[in-house]
Amino acid sequence: MTKGHDKVLAFRGVTKRFGGVVALDHFDMEVDEGQIVGLIGPNGSGKTTSFNVLTGIYAANGGEVEFLGQDITNWPAQKVYEAGVARTFQRSRLCVDLSIFDNIMIGNHQHLNHGLMFNIFKRKAFRRQMEESYEEAKELMTIFDPPLADRMFEAVGTFNMIDRRRIEICRALISHPRLLLLDEPSAGMTEDETRQLMDDILVARERIDGLSIVLVEHEMGMIERVTDRCVVLNFGQKICEGEYREVASDKLVQEAYLGVE
Amino acid sequence: MTDKSKDMLIGLTAIVLGSVFLITFIAIESQVGILALIGMTAIAVVVSARMGISKRISEAFSSNEALMNGTVIVALLVVTVWFREDHFPLLMIATVMLYLTACLGLNIQFGYTGVVNFSGAAFFGVGCYTAAVLNQHTAIPHLMVVVLGGVAAALVGSILILPVLRTRGHYAAVVTIAFGILFKTFLEVNDTLGGPQGLKVPGMEVLGWNFNSNIEIGDEIELSFYLNYVAIGLILSVLAFALTRRVERSWVGLSLDAVRLDETVAACFGINIRRWKITAFTLGNVLVGMAGAVFAMMLGFIAPTNFAFGDSLILVSIVLLGGMGSPWGTVVAAGLVILLPEKLQAIQEYRFLLYAIVVILILLFRPQGLLPRGLRAYVPGWRG
Amino acid sequence: MDAGLLGQFVANGMMLGMMYALVAVGFTLFFGVLDVIKFSHGDVLMVGTFAGFSAYLGLSAMGIDNVFVQLVGILVVAVCSMAFLGAVIARYLVLPLKSAPPLNILLITLMLGTVLREAVRLFFPDGSNPKPFPYLLPTDTWSFGSFTLRADSVILLLGGLLVIVGVHVLINKTKMGLAMRAVAQDEETAKCMGINFNMIVLLTFALGSGVAAFAGVMNGLYYNEINFSMGLLLGVIGFSAAIIGGLGNIYGAILGGFLFAALQTVGAVALPFSSAYKDVFAFAVVIALMVWRPTGLIAEKSSERV
Repeated sequence: MTKGHDKVLAFRGVTKRFGGVVALDHFDMEVDEGQIVGLIGPNGSGKTTSFNVLTGIYAANGGEVEFLGQDITNWPAQKVYEAGVARTFQRSRLCVDLSIFDNIMIGNHQHLNHGLMFNIFKRKAFRRQMEESYEEAKELMTIFDPPLADRMFEAVGTFNMIDRRRIEICRALISHPRLLLLDEPSAGMTEDETRQLMDDILVARERIDGLSIVLVEHEMGMIERVTDRCVVLNFGQKICEGEYREVASDKLVQEAYLGVE
Repeated sequence: MTDKSKDMLIGLTAIVLGSVFLITFIAIESQVGILALIGMTAIAVVVSARMGISKRISEAFSSNEALMNGTVIVALLVVTVWFREDHFPLLMIATVMLYLTACLGLNIQFGYTGVVNFSGAAFFGVGCYTAAVLNQHTAIPHLMVVVLGGVAAALVGSILILPVLRTRGHYAAVVTIAFGILFKTFLEVNDTLGGPQGLKVPGMEVLGWNFNSNIEIGDEIELSFYLNYVAIGLILSVLAFALTRRVERSWVGLSLDAVRLDETVAACFGINIRRWKITAFTLGNVLVGMAGAVFAMMLGFIAPTNFAFGDSLILVSIVLLGGMGSPWGTVVAAGLVILLPEKLQAIQEYRFLLYAIVVILILLFRPQGLLPRGLRAYVPGWRG
Repeated sequence: MDAGLLGQFVANGMMLGMMYALVAVGFTLFFGVLDVIKFSHGDVLMVGTFAGFSAYLGLSAMGIDNVFVQLVGILVVAVCSMAFLGAVIARYLVLPLKSAPPLNILLITLMLGTVLREAVRLFFPDGSNPKPFPYLLPTDTWSFGSFTLRADSVILLLGGLLVIVGVHVLINKTKMGLAMRAVAQDEETAKCMGINFNMIVLLTFALGSGVAAFAGVMNGLYYNEINFSMGLLLGVIGFSAAIIGGLGNIYGAILGGFLFAALQTVGAVALPFSSAYKDVFAFAVVIALMVWRPTGLIAEKSSERV
């Protein structure tokens, strides 16, 4: 229905204020279908805030957000998810007391039957749906972290931070979103782990038609390797965009990160 | 002997031992005897936990669920039949079952969904008063009255829905506490529902069978009429238990947990927070109300003093003591909380005090409860 | 309703408001510093009152008849013993459970309240019956038409006001108060700055409990009667008042206390049927207020890092 739109996401003049602080200041950004766009900028520049506004956690004070041709500004989080946006969080937010399978299934809400009748009375059909979902989740987990694929019914709390990030990414991907928002997925990882992660994300992207990704990262190697384009934020405004190499040599960007002499 | 048979044997043995304990516990009159029994059992439980036997038992239970559950029900029937002619034991057993039903409802509310409810006794009271009024003034069949007790509780609960949805944590606690006090005060100050003196409740009668008259078999045998109430209590609690189980082992249970654990994440993945809080709150209140309706009919008389804040606290403590979100835990805790004070007559005066101290100790040293909830198993034993 | 009777209600309401405010201040202090609702607060108040009462009995037994000395004695014993109790509770029950789910803490303190209540009921001589509290304040009254102003009301109100002002000064103008506010805002940073976190927590609990004891003695002096369950309702009301005002905010707590008393007064005056409905009315309004402002009238200043 909304396929064929080249532009998947557009921020147009989005502003977000917290009391006196302007976190996003007439922020513009576009993402085309199938692209991987890097969103970079110094700490506090508004990257996570843009995700939060997009996913309906915060209400924008001005501007519009357009997704797949629809104006989704200030839509509730649930509706944004149903439109096809999934995300990870800067501080990995998984339910540590629940199993891996449970956590991934939270991300699959859209495709599961939540009716009381179905879940309480139609147990055979439920079992079928549960087993199918398990297979899907297991496949996904196998891409990112094969040893975990056999431990899907263990509590997330027993795994280390790196594994948990991978589980979180599976949670975001299980619903086959159109847009994936990754918030510093490689934080705390070694170079090898980061490379592995990016490869896995690319593999996953192959399996989901038309998946576009916005990647917030501080690890510039990853950004350079993987993104088609970059957008640089500073103080809530876009100060530069283009391919990584262009952006990295831009004077404004250097000043933003390193300060003015 | 195969592993599976070994498992089943362990589970069945545990159930048999449990039944023997229960019968002995209820039957013993001497205070010394009771204390000795409790002491021995406590030691046995601790020792078996240390030796890993408890773990084996719970594994046995989860891999042979249908058999174990069925056996427990049979065991309860055996215990009931043992005391068939004694009023008091049967009254206690029925009370445990009704409180269990109510607490399973509360468990759905805050064990799974995290919706705090410190006015459980008020909703129980709604069920009671519904039964009182309907039985006195209408000819509605009593089984229907039980259902209506649940419906009434759900309706009254809907008054609280908006505050419950909009508040969180301590604020939500205040709202439900305030409501509980409001409810009790309201009952006491006006006389439409009997005022502080309370109301009489006509006993249950189903298809002409009067629940309040002893059952006579021949010339020799007179069975306590409380058997009837144990029967309906058993049916109610089994239904509540099965419902709880199925809800937990489903996408519904998963959504409820997500709402409790992390609302922001839940929302970001499409879970409708409002819907699930309302569902859990309402469903829980229905169970509480139904239990209340039967309780009223069994007691024959209800008064506002039964539905005070302290009683709501007891309900909440049962859920916490057993282990939040753990139905079997709730079963054990309900049994302990109801039966223990009744049997230790010597300490009747000190009941509340000791009870409060025990709860404090448990919260300090074993906050996860007696039978902590395990990981969700959508189909017990199935791990892909 | 003539002015005199109305005046009566208002004066009574002011008294109640003052007492509720004092209790609410305790709740809000505890919450501010530890994010904890100490539900046994109302019963601590009750224990303090009984402690003061025991002091009175002790002093009388020793033959000390001077009203002033008795008053001071009662207050000192009540406030100090409860300050001590509050600190002990903080040290052994609340601090160890800092990181437990809030429901657990709520329940523990609720149970603690039950323990305190039952302990007094069972172990204080003839505990289950109400006790007459001595008439230690001047019983003069001034009449303005049908409105009678009791001298003791004025004294109590002034006393309560002094305590509130004292707390305000302590919190805002002293180093200890600064430390309390720092801890309330950000535990980690306060610790980094060299503040002894545990000590501040103990002091805060001692302060709140001492203030509650004062409120309890006020209650005793005003109604000339105390009983073992007086803390329960006062605690719930104080809690509601603190919540209305926004947890963590002292002025909110004071506001909430007077607001609740105002609600009760309005309920007693305005409702045509029995004034016994005043509690129903007041609590119903509290619930409605929570719908309108889920985090209290003066909203809690906290934000979640997403």
